[in-house]
Amino acid sequence: MSGAVEVGGAFLREQLRSPLNVALLFAIPVFFVLIFAGVLGEFAAALGGDLAEQAATSISAGWAAAFLCGALGFFQLHSSREADRRLAGAGLGAWRVAGARMGSALALGAVASLIAYLTLLLRSGIEHPPHAAVAILFFTAIYIGIGALCGALVRGSLEGSLLVVLVFSLDVFSGPAMTSGGGLADVTPTRDAANLLIAAGSGKGSPAGEWFGAAAVGVGALVVALLAFWTVARSRR
Amino acid sequence: MPKRTDLAAATGTDVVLRMKGVRKSFRRGLPPRRREIRVLKGADLEIRRAELVGLVGENGSGKSTLMQIVVGMLSRDAGEVSLRGRIGYCPQTPMVWEKLTVAEHFALFARAYGLEPTDARQAEGTLLDELQFERYRDVRVEELSGGTRQKLNLALALMHRPDLLLLDEPYAGFDWETYMRFWEMSERLRLEGMGILIVSHLLAERERLDRIYNLFDGRTEVKE
Ligand SMILES: Nc1ncnc2c1ncn2[C@@H]1O[C@H](COP(=O)(O)OP(=O)(O)OP(=O)(O)O)[C@@H](O)[C@H]1O
Ligand SMILES: [Mg+2]
Repeated sequence: MSGAVEVGGAFLREQLRSPLNVALLFAIPVFFVLIFAGVLGEFAAALGGDLAEQAATSISAGWAAAFLCGALGFFQLHSSREADRRLAGAGLGAWRVAGARMGSALALGAVASLIAYLTLLLRSGIEHPPHAAVAILFFTAIYIGIGALCGALVRGSLEGSLLVVLVFSLDVFSGPAMTSGGGLADVTPTRDAANLLIAAGSGKGSPAGEWFGAAAVGVGALVVALLAFWTVARSRR
Repeated sequence: MPKRTDLAAATGTDVVLRMKGVRKSFRRGLPPRRREIRVLKGADLEIRRAELVGLVGENGSGKSTLMQIVVGMLSRDAGEVSLRGRIGYCPQTPMVWEKLTVAEHFALFARAYGLEPTDARQAEGTLLDELQFERYRDVRVEELSGGTRQKLNLALALMHRPDLLLLDEPYAGFDWETYMRFWEMSERLRLEGMGILIVSHLLAERERLDRIYNLFDGRTEVKE
């Protein structure tokens, strides 16, 4: 286990050494909460939904975390799968490499969530701050899973990142209060987490079912991510 | 060089790698345009302790594929691979992390190989010195020249003193002096008992090798 921690630290350092990564980590949440929220409200109106301004702002923080974590999850796998596999084969083992990648993804995800959360807090205030924080973490977990899965399935960086963006777009524009309901809206991965976040923003409580639903999808996504990291690093012997 | 062959026969009876009838195809594309490339069609190979063995064959003949099967980075469709002891693998194109430094690479691989800190430090110092790239110790890979990257790639395969060493064109990009040092080093490691398989195109190296396998049409043949 200590091996995975040390290696995870190295992976994290590697990601943070890209100045663009760090800049985006800050810029994207701010952009989403301050600007994307307005766009989202207009889109909702056009699509027949009734997303209010406060709700749009709240949920934008979730989308910011989601977008960043989808990219982070994907590039955890994409950037250096060969070197990761070599390290696993040299004796570290695929599980420890996967654990290290997971640790690095979670650490970056936590930072992304925190920035999204703080931007939201400063921008509009939240009625139920702890609820909102947990809901944003669900977005983070779900998209680490989606990003890592895309990374395991698709080799090319362009194809892979476009796939993440496609899933993200479908998810955003089929989210709660975006459309008049039906269709994709009932099956998007972030449905429960989005409802939680909107409710937290306006100070409403959420039914237990939504908490359980979001938690189940979040944990499931992290398991998927771990398996994706493992699949890439595993030995073919 | 009969003398070397005798030495190998005298010191090395134990086999460190044996491949028998290894087959491998790559399948690409979706059904209407599905293609199958049969790369290995029954490759055999044997390496004992203290042997320096060459693997030659034209571009695309499957040399790298064969090595990746031995280290477990690729699966095989059929055949047997038996190994003894620890393996060191130097891939054809450096498999390293662009944004980590040389020293960080040594640390990660020391961890993977399970080396004690003192052994790891010593191995790192020796290799940095022998391949003459100690001044790049704290430089990130993305800033290294091609030859220096390759030195790191090679050093990572050697730092745990493996019993079997697989080198896939390890000197690509080396300058003449480094190239000569590389061969001296290989011969020394061989004398110390390492079994070494090296992919090489340069027939000038023939006299240094105990044996040469030629990979042709998916099969290996011993070349005299
Ligand atoms: N992942 C892959 N998918 C499909 N085909 C592959 C893959 N990897 C290798 N091949 C094919 O297998 C064959 C053997 O490739 P390999 O890299 O083993 O050759 P090589 O002998 O190492 O060549 P070189 O001397 O150029 O390094 C080639 O025809 C190559 O196109
Ligand atoms: Mg090759």
